[in-house]
Amino acid sequence: MSNLRNVAVVGFAQAPIVARDEHNTAQEMLYPQVRRALAECGVERDDIDYQIAGSSDYLDGRPFGFVAALDVMGSWPPRQDLHLEMDAIFGAYYAWLRMQAGDCDTAIVCGYGKTSEGEPVRLANLQLDPYYQAPIGLDLISTSALQASAFMNRARVSDRDLAEVVARSRAAGARNPETQLRSPASADELAATPWAVAPLRQGYLSPYGESAVCLILAAEGKAEKLCDRPAWIQGIDQRAELQSLGARDISRSAGAELATQRALAMAGLASARDVDVVEMTCATPAEDLILREAIGLDRGSDSPAVNPSGGPLCGNPLMMTGLIRLGEVFRQIAGKAGDHAVAGTRRGIAHGASGHCLQQNLVIVVGDERRWS
Amino acid sequence: MKRPVAVVGVGQTHHSARRADLSIPGLIQEAVDRALLDAGLEHKDIDAIVIGKAPDQLEGIMQPEQFLVGALGAHMKPMIRVHTAGSVGASTALTAATHVASGLFDRVLTVAFEKQSEGNAMWALSPTLPFTPPLVAGAGGFFAPYCRAYIAKTGAPPHIGPMTAANARANAARNEYAHLREPMTVEDVMNSPVLWDPIRYLETCPSSDGAIAMVLASEEVARKGPRKPAWIKAGASFAEAMWVPGRDQVSPRAGRDCVKKVYDAAGVTDPWNQIDTAEIYVPFAWFEAMWLENLGFCDVGEGWKIVDRGDQKFGAHLPINPSGGVLCTNPIGASGMLRLGEAALQVMGRAGEHQVEGAKLALGHAYGGGAQYFAIWIVGSEL
Repeated sequence: MSNLRNVAVVGFAQAPIVARDEHNTAQEMLYPQVRRALAECGVERDDIDYQIAGSSDYLDGRPFGFVAALDVMGSWPPRQDLHLEMDAIFGAYYAWLRMQAGDCDTAIVCGYGKTSEGEPVRLANLQLDPYYQAPIGLDLISTSALQASAFMNRARVSDRDLAEVVARSRAAGARNPETQLRSPASADELAATPWAVAPLRQGYLSPYGESAVCLILAAEGKAEKLCDRPAWIQGIDQRAELQSLGARDISRSAGAELATQRALAMAGLASARDVDVVEMTCATPAEDLILREAIGLDRGSDSPAVNPSGGPLCGNPLMMTGLIRLGEVFRQIAGKAGDHAVAGTRRGIAHGASGHCLQQNLVIVVGDERRWS
Repeated sequence: MKRPVAVVGVGQTHHSARRADLSIPGLIQEAVDRALLDAGLEHKDIDAIVIGKAPDQLEGIMQPEQFLVGALGAHMKPMIRVHTAGSVGASTALTAATHVASGLFDRVLTVAFEKQSEGNAMWALSPTLPFTPPLVAGAGGFFAPYCRAYIAKTGAPPHIGPMTAANARANAARNEYAHLREPMTVEDVMNSPVLWDPIRYLETCPSSDGAIAMVLASEEVARKGPRKPAWIKAGASFAEAMWVPGRDQVSPRAGRDCVKKVYDAAGVTDPWNQIDTAEIYVPFAWFEAMWLENLGFCDVGEGWKIVDRGDQKFGAHLPINPSGGVLCTNPIGASGMLRLGEAALQVMGRAGEHQVEGAKLALGHAYGGGAQYFAIWIVGSEL
């Protein structure tokens, strides 16, 4: 791995996550983030070589919803461009690959979508295979509940344990001005909320809000000019798994485990405990614990800090939750995390996921030093 | 690109209006099995998967690649899902090429599909937006004004569209995989009803079920393969904004910029004479003349004259769409990759009855959105 290019996150802007923005379209929400991210780097759109976005036509409620985003991403003159029907963090992954191929030096990565215009929980039924799983009416909450149940049985985790995971996230979220749930909640309060689908209580579910995000990546030589403290990508890997809930052990995340091992190996690290911050895409407290296990973190430990932004349990804008994780780790390294800063952060892990029960996982290790010389 | 990339295997389904014999995973597997067999590889040899398709609404399944992981052989492998409107098949293959060019992957499987019989493409492509009157019925309603503008700008006579459509069918008759292969005359086309003026029924692409898969590989892998590969000489994807005053919708700048980048990288200075054959995205017959201009094969206003002279026919100076193209086979999400795959088959010398004799350099092209997305590659028989 001695021949890779050093690439860094150099800018990030996010619209505060809200349940529903009644005044702006997805594009109107995105445009200010593109401008803010460019301004943070002190450049104009013409200075960026490549653009890539992640969004979902189904969440948008129409085909080709992403076409409208071209305008606010500054696609004139015409730009080298790609759109993924995935969480936008996979766009960061691909932009990094393009830089490895020498096809660009700088890229903007955008995520957008308005979950309030539809019913994301029910919509997720349409993600399941149309022959066996979708017809029985599973949705995002019921598959998560099956996963939580399988995990709790295997790992001897109690309802109280789940409540405490959420309480920790909520306490952290109270320090993040851009997340959706900003009021702390105690484990007692959360454990008293009614069942959503047992063993998940309503207080344990991530809020499906809306936001818009723009992240800027730059290769060595450019990155230093755009940012005082770039967050250099040191390791990266992604893995997909079979969807069928019966075809894999949903009490674990084999994909997150393998992606972490590969990303850590690329970064030259022995363990995820060697980083200071982990931001991960967990839609339920059970997924928080499953991911800690897969990534290699101790269940109760605060070192490294896990989801100091409050994580998806405080704000989960679909199709950009993963990219926000990478933006958050960048903020920690660049000294821009404000009230939720983890002092002395030099290295972190950002984790993105897609699909039911952590079907696809992407792990990125970033740090304040270049990996390759 | 940091290192050379080759096409080492191509496989496509037999396309038809309704592949009732296959599920969606079955359709994927027909293409993937043929591509792997062609490359002399198995699933275990594949390092990553890049899949593309057009809007998920066409089949009614959100992010269907997730339930297709098994059919794609993607379990515990990296997988990327691309969607760039009609150009998606082509931009998907280019995304796969970047995976290999990056040096991180040696063998990448790329797949594109659409099973349009699962839904109704025309209405899936006719969204009504809030506070906006429903103006169009399907892509034809959207693109008919583009064709009218072309005719108004260039003075092209009315028989150009019908000539293009009849020629596409003559070509498809030589392609065993094509959906519509029955020959038809220019008169047949002229006598078919106008759907969206000036586009007639027989100047319109069909709705097809179909898939295509390719294996892209590094030079080292390609040299060891059982067959002569197609070398990717250059590729690019561009997009442009919709709401630009004065935007040329007939010959969009994104298309011109995209092909210029590709020609520059491939060392093409005289495309009309250097390119041996091209597979270009023509969903409505008039677009063949329009893209001939946009792709720089001729000057503005000259594209329809090429069609009128027949210089783009099979066996003529520059055969365009020897496979029959989108006008005869249109599984939307796969249509772009079919163009790139057919271009690759031509320079591999394995296009069967529609092989262009001695093809050494071929161009594959797709477009999408409101003629905003362009994805193009040039492949050659030599590195």
